Amino acid sequence: MSSAWLRVGACWLAWACAGVLYAGEPVDFRRDIAPIFAERCVRCHGPKRQEGGLRLDVRRRVQIGGDSGLTLGIKGELLQRIDATGDKRMPPSGEPLSDKQKKLLREWMKQGAPWPDELAGKEEHESHWAFRRVTRPAVPKVKNTARVLNPIDAFLLQRLEAESLGFSPEAPRTTLLRRLHLDLIGLPPTPTEVEAFLKDETQDAYEKQVDRLLASPHFGERWGRHWLDLARFAESDGYENDRLRPDAWRFRDWVIDAINRDMPFDRFTIEQLAGDLLPNATPEQKIAAGLHRHTLWNSAASADKEEFRTLAIKDRVETTAAAWMGLTLGCAKCHSHKYDPIRQREYYQVYAFFNNTDHQDFKLPGGGTAMTLAEKKRVTHIHQRGNFLQKGDEVPPGTPSFLPALAMTSILRDKPDAQRRAPDRFDFALWLVDPKHPLTARVAVNRFWQHLFGQGLVTTPENFGLSGQAPSHPELIDWLADEFVRLKWSRKGLLRTIVLSAAYRQSSRARPDLAKRDPDNRLVARQNRYRVEAEIVRDLALSVSGLLDLKMGGPSIVPPFPDGLLAQRFQAEALKLPTKEHRRRGVYIHVQRTLTYPMLAAFDGADGNQPCLRRDRSTTPMQALTLLNDPVFVEAAKALAVRIQKATPDQDGRLRFGIQLCLGRAATARELAVLSDLVAAQRKLGAKDDAVWTGVARTLINIDAFITRE
Amino acid sequence: MQPDIGLLTRRRFLTSAASGLGAVALASMLRDDGLLAQSGDSDPLRPRPPHFEAKAKACIFIFLIGGISQVDLFDRKPLLQRLHGERIPESYRRGVRLGQTNYNAPLMGARFGFRRYGRCGMEMSELLPYFGSCADDLTLIRSMHHEAFDHAPGELELCTGKDIPGRPTMGSWLIYGLGSESRNLPGYVVLLNGRSPKARSYVWGSGYLPATYQGVLFRNQGSPILNLQTPSEMAPGLHRAQLDAIRSLNELHHEETGDPRVAAQIAAYELAYRMQTAAPELLDLSGETRATIESYGASDFARSLLLARRLVERGVRFVTVTHHEWDHHDGIAAGLPDACRQIDRPIAALLQDLKRRGLLESTLVVGGTEFGRTAITQGNNFANAGRDHHPHAFTIWLAGAGVKRGFTLGETDELCWRVAEDPVHTHDFHATLLHLFGLDHRRLTFRHQGLDMRLTDVAGTVVNKILE
Repeated sequence: MSSAWLRVGACWLAWACAGVLYAGEPVDFRRDIAPIFAERCVRCHGPKRQEGGLRLDVRRRVQIGGDSGLTLGIKGELLQRIDATGDKRMPPSGEPLSDKQKKLLREWMKQGAPWPDELAGKEEHESHWAFRRVTRPAVPKVKNTARVLNPIDAFLLQRLEAESLGFSPEAPRTTLLRRLHLDLIGLPPTPTEVEAFLKDETQDAYEKQVDRLLASPHFGERWGRHWLDLARFAESDGYENDRLRPDAWRFRDWVIDAINRDMPFDRFTIEQLAGDLLPNATPEQKIAAGLHRHTLWNSAASADKEEFRTLAIKDRVETTAAAWMGLTLGCAKCHSHKYDPIRQREYYQVYAFFNNTDHQDFKLPGGGTAMTLAEKKRVTHIHQRGNFLQKGDEVPPGTPSFLPALAMTSILRDKPDAQRRAPDRFDFALWLVDPKHPLTARVAVNRFWQHLFGQGLVTTPENFGLSGQAPSHPELIDWLADEFVRLKWSRKGLLRTIVLSAAYRQSSRARPDLAKRDPDNRLVARQNRYRVEAEIVRDLALSVSGLLDLKMGGPSIVPPFPDGLLAQRFQAEALKLPTKEHRRRGVYIHVQRTLTYPMLAAFDGADGNQPCLRRDRSTTPMQALTLLNDPVFVEAAKALAVRIQKATPDQDGRLRFGIQLCLGRAATARELAVLSDLVAAQRKLGAKDDAVWTGVARTLINIDAFITRE
Repeated sequence: MQPDIGLLTRRRFLTSAASGLGAVALASMLRDDGLLAQSGDSDPLRPRPPHFEAKAKACIFIFLIGGISQVDLFDRKPLLQRLHGERIPESYRRGVRLGQTNYNAPLMGARFGFRRYGRCGMEMSELLPYFGSCADDLTLIRSMHHEAFDHAPGELELCTGKDIPGRPTMGSWLIYGLGSESRNLPGYVVLLNGRSPKARSYVWGSGYLPATYQGVLFRNQGSPILNLQTPSEMAPGLHRAQLDAIRSLNELHHEETGDPRVAAQIAAYELAYRMQTAAPELLDLSGETRATIESYGASDFARSLLLARRLVERGVRFVTVTHHEWDHHDGIAAGLPDACRQIDRPIAALLQDLKRRGLLESTLVVGGTEFGRTAITQGNNFANAGRDHHPHAFTIWLAGAGVKRGFTLGETDELCWRVAEDPVHTHDFHATLLHLFGLDHRRLTFRHQGLDMRLTDVAGTVVNKILE
């Protein structure tokens, strides 16, 4: 836990008191210095608290120094502060250090502050799982080999078998196909697709479906939206003026396209963080670098430009840290991080990479403009207490010291001035995707897992640090991370591996034997069932009703807003008129930061103000009212009714067709009975045929199973 | 909180059920009671006990947006009147950040007279005679302060304790902590008047708390809740028949999957249905006396306050009512009387109405603003001068639910520039608000990004001096 020498105990104190120092005599750390630290310093600068980012019980931390600068050395903070008076004096309470103690410390500094290895001390984070380099674990042997379709299953079964548990049975084929459809492309399987899959008796029938869906252009729309959540993608400034950003959609299209082409995740990272710095950057690469143009911007006349510029830079730092590293770096902007080994100075060193940027818009070859970033050198200072007006020390760009060192071996390095150049965003991006980086791959695979099981192996995707949730299966996450790199960072490759596992194919039915032992299903003894995301709720309704326009890309759409919502002098003029083609997929709905499209807002859609690492899955009466009465769903119900009526003249056949369309499986007898009763009840109330079937359709798109991924 | 009203609403509903929807609806409602009991913790709005005995059960938060001038309305400064037209002394300038104005601008005394109101003799502007008549029920806090400078950050600071978007608002925290007492309406309702707040929906958002806890924006005309109206071509009987089918199918799937979320979904549909009935009843003012309606007045703001009272009566926990007329950068001499006229009678009517009905005992009414205004002018021409934003010292007021009556807390310096005594930061205000609801602000936490987050961040002290 804490350092070795603290545990050696009080015997040092006696030693120190007895010792008399003669000039030139070597200072002994154990005898002379450690007791001073132990007695007077570590209560505030030790394992429990690190005031001012300083920790005196670990050699490495002392050598790095605290927030206010270097600790060691003749001119270092330590000697200055023990001699200071007033507020600055250390220790701040009790008697000042004795002259003898001060003399010992000065002499120790003069001698180069020797500190023996055996007393170097260790920090908690040095053994923290997520900060260690990924190594490929051996695949465990399990008893139930019949359920092991790939190594993922072995890792999960090992743990389950240790608890005398096992996997749930495989879900029915229809459930599997709808699950795959919703997870991979976000659209329901058509009755024809279901039928074809059920008829396919070949060994690799399931695998073929996986490959078909991974190759679908709608895969990019589905997985692109996940990434846009992290990118806090929006098409307006936010804050009070909330001006439109008419070119922002190009970044959305870039993401969808890159994911459809299965751009390797390392390349995907580099282009977004430093696309503008690549040699002969293409327009696409510059658009990719527009990732960090998606910060909020306050254009109010009274807004302090520098204040909001620095806020935007901080947003870039924190978004990057959250999306790629699962770190809550923002905690370190006012003071050193309370839990993770991130000092305030290091926050501003990462800040310096992004502080060296400027906004740039550029003309595209085919016409139109796009947003990107450009390099602009600035001097970065620590903001004391996070306040941009209170400038502290100047800091160069750099990365936190608990992570691997920034390697200066980028492809720009062949320039003659390479050795003297300060690192830039390109170096930073390469650092992130260096396989030695312990976080990038782990965080990415955990997120993939989260989108395929409803929760990550680490349930706090935003926090892989010491205060985050420990992984349920540390070896599995490491195997996946290593496999991801081994697959050359292929997103599709890794997703394929996961969905081919037996674990993914399990039934999601609740199991009484697990209710008490594993209520949160951390052991993955079954799949999870959960409500689909806001966009998919809408896509589903438009899709089954036959209204969905599958056109891809281009400027965003504005669907009709419910009556009266825009009356309150909202400045969002662009929202007042619905665009044509407004029945396109939810991923193409215009994102106005201060007014999320109400249907998406009701279903916990991302608002684009902050990176969204995990969508809420609330259940509210507003959602019920939306599905029952929002114009989009009313329209969908009517169209679905027409579709059902056209399918067959026979009532039973219509009900079966409706369930088949909406749930991707055959109706059960009890479902048919409920719906037959509904038909009868509506007829009894005097409803004509159209009204009866609109009622059935409205019922179908309102049931929980419709918007649930089983 | 008002069981009689609950029954009344229920009876009213059943009357309407008898006329159109029939026994199915009745059965469904009765079943629903059992279902809610079964679903237990899976219902995030279920009423929960406070940490300790609460004084307040509901809050009406009157948000006077733009930055109300404490200099002119609440905080009389004789020295400022004497120094009118002069430069502010050097000693005041240190460490006080200015926005659009600068230190060359002259000091400007209050443009209108002050009066002593009530038995307590509380000093407030002559522009607020009706409101002043409620002085003996008020606590005035003259020593509010925070650091947020512009409107949107200031609004967020006041509503969420942090000047950037993304945090839950006061009402969200209360619903998260205590659940909702209303079975037929959302627990947290928002009524906007005039322009939207600059920070828009962040002012009633649930931030990182689940969306269930967000304020529900009612419109004060027409349908108060989005999508409340069943499509016109859908006869009420058909609507209910479909809801029953939805329910039956969901029950089948609940049975089959064993997923508690399906139960929550069934409950949500029933609340939605009850809201469709309860909301029009809520808006129907025909049961109010003419005297009551006239006492509030005829403006949208007045109507919102009356609606707020009706919401609180029906068990709604937190109601935000906005009034956006206070950003007097210029023309304060003309603008202020007009803005005061808009709120003076309605707010007084609300306080008296609540008191008359015995609701003020358990209802906290807060009059808040995102910041105050500067003692120096913005613009040198006194005829048309205004004042700039001033978060360093401003005034808010509270009434009801265990807050002292006829009491003034805090003092600013002689130029209304900085807090001199009993400073109350927004965190302290929030800690006090939660305290009145029986919640310890240090214990009401939500795990987010690895931290136990609070309304009061890592600060906040309950302002005991204003508690009865």
